[in-house]
Amino acid sequence: MAYTEEELKKELETKEYEYGFYTDIESDTLPKGLNEDIVIAISKKKEEPDWMTEWRLEAFRAWQKMEEPEWANVKYKKPDFQDISYYSAPNKKPKYNSLDEVDPELLDTFKKLGISVDEQKKLAGVAVDIVMDSVSVATTFKKTLAEKGIIFCSISEAIQEHPELVKKYIGSVVPKKDNFYAALNSAVFSDGSFCYIPKGVRCPMELSTYFRINQAGTGQFERTLVIAEEGSYVSYLEGCTAPMRDENQLHAAVVELIALDNAEIKYSTVQNWFPGDKEGKGGVFNFVTKRGLCEKNAKISWTQVETGSAVTWKYPSCILKGDNSIGEFYSIAVTNNFQQADTGTKMVHLGKNTRSTIISKGISAGQSQNSYRGLVQVNSRAENARNFSQCDSLLMGNRCGAHTFPYIEAKNKTAQIEHEATTSKIGEDQIFYCNQRGIDTEKAIALIVNGFSKEVLNKLPMEFAVEAQKLLEISLEGSVG
Amino acid sequence: MKMLKINNLHASVDDKKILKGINLEVNAGEVHAIMGPNGSGKSTLAEVIAGKEEFEIKKGNIYLEGEDLEEMAPEERAHKGIFLSFQYPVEIPGVSVTNFIRTAINESRKGRGMEDMPANEMLKLIREKSQLLDIDRKFLSRSLNEGFSGGEKKRNEIFQMAMMEPKLAILDETDSGLDIDALRIVANGVNKLRGKDNAIIVITHYQRLLEYIVPDFVHVLHDGKIVKSGSKELALELEEKGYDWIKQEAAV
Amino acid sequence: MDLKDKLLSSFLAFENTMDLNHPVHEVRSEAIKNFEEKGFPSKKEEAWKYTSLNSLQKVDFSIFPKQENTLEYKDIKKYFLHEIDTYKIVFVDGVYSSYLSETTHDVVDVCLMSSAFNKPMFRPVLDVYFNKAASKDESLTTLNTAFCREGAYIYIPKNKMPKKPIQILHLATGNEAALMLQPRNLIVAEQNAEVQIIERHQSLTENEVFTNCVTEIFAAKDAIVDYYKVQNDNNNASLVDNTYISQKDSSVVRVHTFSFGGKLTRNNLNFYQDGERIDSTLKGVTILGEKQHVDHHTLVHHAQPNCESHQDYKGIFGERSTGVFNGKIVVDKIAQKTDAFQQNNNILISDKATINSKPQLEIFADDVKCSHGCTIGQLDEEALFYLRSRGIPKKEATALMMYAFANNVLESVRIPELKVRINKIIASKLGVRVGFDEL
Repeated sequence: MAYTEEELKKELETKEYEYGFYTDIESDTLPKGLNEDIVIAISKKKEEPDWMTEWRLEAFRAWQKMEEPEWANVKYKKPDFQDISYYSAPNKKPKYNSLDEVDPELLDTFKKLGISVDEQKKLAGVAVDIVMDSVSVATTFKKTLAEKGIIFCSISEAIQEHPELVKKYIGSVVPKKDNFYAALNSAVFSDGSFCYIPKGVRCPMELSTYFRINQAGTGQFERTLVIAEEGSYVSYLEGCTAPMRDENQLHAAVVELIALDNAEIKYSTVQNWFPGDKEGKGGVFNFVTKRGLCEKNAKISWTQVETGSAVTWKYPSCILKGDNSIGEFYSIAVTNNFQQADTGTKMVHLGKNTRSTIISKGISAGQSQNSYRGLVQVNSRAENARNFSQCDSLLMGNRCGAHTFPYIEAKNKTAQIEHEATTSKIGEDQIFYCNQRGIDTEKAIALIVNGFSKEVLNKLPMEFAVEAQKLLEISLEGSVG
Repeated sequence: MKMLKINNLHASVDDKKILKGINLEVNAGEVHAIMGPNGSGKSTLAEVIAGKEEFEIKKGNIYLEGEDLEEMAPEERAHKGIFLSFQYPVEIPGVSVTNFIRTAINESRKGRGMEDMPANEMLKLIREKSQLLDIDRKFLSRSLNEGFSGGEKKRNEIFQMAMMEPKLAILDETDSGLDIDALRIVANGVNKLRGKDNAIIVITHYQRLLEYIVPDFVHVLHDGKIVKSGSKELALELEEKGYDWIKQEAAV
Repeated sequence: MDLKDKLLSSFLAFENTMDLNHPVHEVRSEAIKNFEEKGFPSKKEEAWKYTSLNSLQKVDFSIFPKQENTLEYKDIKKYFLHEIDTYKIVFVDGVYSSYLSETTHDVVDVCLMSSAFNKPMFRPVLDVYFNKAASKDESLTTLNTAFCREGAYIYIPKNKMPKKPIQILHLATGNEAALMLQPRNLIVAEQNAEVQIIERHQSLTENEVFTNCVTEIFAAKDAIVDYYKVQNDNNNASLVDNTYISQKDSSVVRVHTFSFGGKLTRNNLNFYQDGERIDSTLKGVTILGEKQHVDHHTLVHHAQPNCESHQDYKGIFGERSTGVFNGKIVVDKIAQKTDAFQQNNNILISDKATINSKPQLEIFADDVKCSHGCTIGQLDEEALFYLRSRGIPKKEATALMMYAFANNVLESVRIPELKVRINKIIASKLGVRVGFDEL
C-alpha cells in the first residue's frame, strides 16, 4: 500500500485547518459580559423599535432563570457567558452598490473561503447575503427578487422595514423560552437572514447565506426567519466556515421556518466551522435550535452536512401540524480527532396523513464521538402518520464511537413507523479491491465514504453537493484505522 | 522479456505456509491455465501477484516485464497493468459501477502520468465495452456488486477488465457460479482482450471454462507447488481422472 | 408516610431479625444507604422517562406480611406448568412453602436463599457470586439487596444438569390489603452445566401487590441457561423485575419474557458478556389491554471480542395500554467482531394505546456488525387480503395474523409444553379460534 495506516493518520492530524485565517477589520465591539444594559445596548445600536427591545429583555429574563443543559454523550468545558462579547459589527458599514466598493480585505477573505461572491455565483444564479460578523455587508440580486415580491434581507433590516411580518412570526416556532440557548439567542441575536416568499411565488434561485465567526471572543448569535406563504417555494442554502482560533467559540443560532398551506421550504446547510486541532484544543461550540412548522400540505426538508465544530448539538425539527404535511431530514455528520456531534431531528406528527423521512449517516474517525439522537412522535389525533428512519454509522479506527438514540413515541394505532440502524466499518477487502483497480487507499476511502453518504449528498443542491463532497474528503483523508 | 516471471515463490499467512516454491513464466500473447484441487493455493497465488498485504513473502520474487514487484503497493501494480478478477468481488454500497470504473481508470492514468480520460471518450468506451459483455445501461448505475447475482458480479469483473485493458489479467475462478450463457459471454469478453501484447492467467477448478478460453499451457498446483505442466490436453486428462493421480504422482 | 420512609424505618426492624455478624449484613447496610440517597426513580431520569412509580409510592404496603396460608395445590395448579414433572420452589406472600414445593440437593442444589444464607456449606458459592452481578447503585436493586432474605437458590455444578426443569412461583394471597414483596434469586451454572427455569409471579386476589425482584444468573464457560419469565398477573399487581446475567466464555443464556398481565411491569434485563464466543438471547412477547403498562429495559454489554447477541421483542397493544421498549447495546473498544442484533416490532390495535420505543446503540469498536430495527405499524394488508380471499372472516384473519406475528418469538422455547401453554395464552388474548396448531 502506498501509505501505511500510521502515515495516513499522521498526515491527517498535521493537516492545518484549511480555512484557518483571520481577517483584521476594525470592529465596533461591545464590552464583554451580559446584563440587561447590554441587551438594551444591542437593541439600541441596531435602532430597533421598542417592542423588539422588550422582546429581547423578556427572553433575557427567562434565560437568567434557566439552567444550562447537560447532555449525556457530550463533554466540553462550558462557556463563560460573562466572558463573551455579544455584539461586534464591521466598522465600515456602508451599503454597497457593487462589489468593487467592498473592503478588499473582506473580498480576499471570501476568496480564501472559496465563496465566490462575484461572477461564479452570478452565473450560478445565486443571490448571496453575506453575514460577516453579525451585520450584512453585501447583498446582490435583490432587485430580481424584489420584482417577485420576495424579501431577502438581514433580519435587522427586516425589523426596520417589515416589522409586521417579523412581529407576527419571530418566536412563533421557536418560542423565546424554548431552551437555554434559544433564550440566549432571543436576547442577544446580532443579525441573521430574513426571507419572505409571497403567496404562490416560486423563488427562481437558490437563496444563500454564508455565516462566519470572525472577531476574537465574539459569540455569534444568528437569527434566521424564513416564511413561505401559501403555495410558495424556496430553497435556502446556509454555509459556514470560521477562522482558526485557540479558545472555544460559542455559536447559538436559531432558525425558524414557517411553511404555510401548500408551501415548500428546502433548507440546506454545510457546516465547516473550526473543529479544534488534533489535540482537541479550540473549535466552535455549535448549539443550534432549528425548527420548522408545516401547515396543510406543506413540506419542509432539512439537509445538512456537518463536518466542523468541536461540539455540535443540533436537531433540525419539523412540526407537522397541518394535514398531509411532510417533513424530511437528511444528514451527514462527520467527526474526527476530538470532535463531538450529537445531532438528529424531531418529527412531531400532529396532523392527519403526515409523513416524515429521516436519513442519517454518521461517520466517526480519530477519537471522536458521533451520536444520532432523534424523536418521532405520533400524536393521538395524527391518523395515518408515516415515518421511515434510517441511521447508519461508519466507524474508522478503534478510538472513536458511534451511538444511536432514537425515541419513538406512537399514540395512534394507524401510525406506521419504521426505524433501522446499522453500524459498519470500511472493510480491508473493500480497500484491497479498490487498490487492485489502481485506486490508492486515500481515494478509496473517499469513494467508499461518498458511497455511504450518497442518499444524503443527492439531496443537496448541485453546487453544494460538490463542496460537500470535498469537505468529506478533507475531513476524513487518511483516517482509516 | 517475460511478461511475468515467478521465481521460487514462498508465501505464508499467519505463519501458515501456503505457497512453497512456485516457478512460472508467462510470455506476452499467452494464456496459461492454473488448475488444482481446493486449498492448493490457487487464489493465494493470484492475490500475492496482485499484492495483498495479508500474505508474507518468505522467499522468491515476482517480476512483471523485468521489474520486481516486491515493494509495490497493490494500486501501483494495477497501474503497471496487473488486473485480478476476484473470485468474490467486493460490495461497495452507494458507489455506482460507472463512478467506480471512472475513478479506477483515471487513477491508473494518473499513476502513469496521464491526464484524466475526457468524459466523452469515457462514455464511448463504457458503451462499447458494456455492449461487448451484454451489460444493460441500468446495471451501470447500480451500486458496485451490491445485490448482484453471481453471474452479474463476474460479468462486471470482466467488464472492468475490458475497460482497463490490462497487460496481465488473472481470472480467479471466474467461471464459478456461471450458467452456460453467462460463461459464453464472459469467455467472449476475455477472448476479445487476447492479443500479442498481453497475457492471461486463468485459475479454475474445472475444464469447462477452458473450452471457451483455450489455454496455451496448463499447470497443476498442488500443496503450494506446480507439480505438473503441459498443453491444453492436460486439462482434459484432469477432468477425466480427477486430481488424485496428480497427488499420488507428487507424493512419489 | 410515603413508601420510601416506610421502607427506611422498616429496615431497622428487619435487621433486628437477622444475624448482624453475617457477611451479608454489611452488603445490606451499604445497599440501604444507596437507596436512602437515591430513593425511587423519577420520570426525570432518562431510564424512567416512560414509566412512573409515583402512584405505587402512595400505597400503604405491608413490608412484613402475616405468615399464614392455607393454599391447596389444586387451587394454584393452573399457575404451574403442570403438564410436565418439574422441581418447584414456591413462595406464598414471600415465605417459602415446603408443602407446595419440590426441591433437591441431589447432584444439583434447588432450594432457598434463606438456607443458602444460613448454612455454612453454601458460603463458598455465596462469597463468589452473591450480589456480584447486581447493580450497586441502581436504586430498586439496592432496595432489594437491603431487604434480601428469601428467594430461589439454584446451583448446578460442573458438567451437571438437573433431571427436570425448575419452576419458581411467587404467590400473593391477598391476606394483606397491600403487600410489597422483594424476592432475591441466585442461579449459578458452573462450567458446562445446563438448566431450564420458569418463573412466575401470581397474585390470587384483587388486593394490591408490588414486587421488586432481583435475580442474578451466572453462566460459567460452556454453560447453558434457559430462563422463562411468565408475566400474566392480575390487574392489581405491579412488578419491577431486575435480572443481572454474567456470562463467561462460550456460554449461552436465553431469556424469554412473556408479558400478558399485571398493572405495571418493568423488566430490567442486563447481560454482561465477560468472555469470548458468548451467545446471549433476549426475546419477548407482550400483549396488553386495559390500562396495563409494560416497560422492557434491556442492556447487552459486549465487553469481549467474538460474541453475539440476539434480541427480538414483539408487542401488541390494545385498549389504553402502554408499551415501552428501551433496548441498549454497548460494544466496548476491545469487543471486536461483535455481532449484535436487535429487533422490536409493535402493533397498536386501539386508539388509546401508546408505544414508546427507544432502541439504542453505543459502539466503541469498529469491526462489528450491529443493527437494530424498530417498527410500529399494522398488519400487512396484502396478507390480510390473502387470508380473506381464502374465506377467513376479517376478524379471524386479523387475529390469526397477530397470532403469527407474536408467535414466531416462541421458536426458541425449548420446553415444548411451555410453548403450547404460551401459544394458548397468546391465542386466547387475541381471540384466535381458527386453525392454530396445537403442537
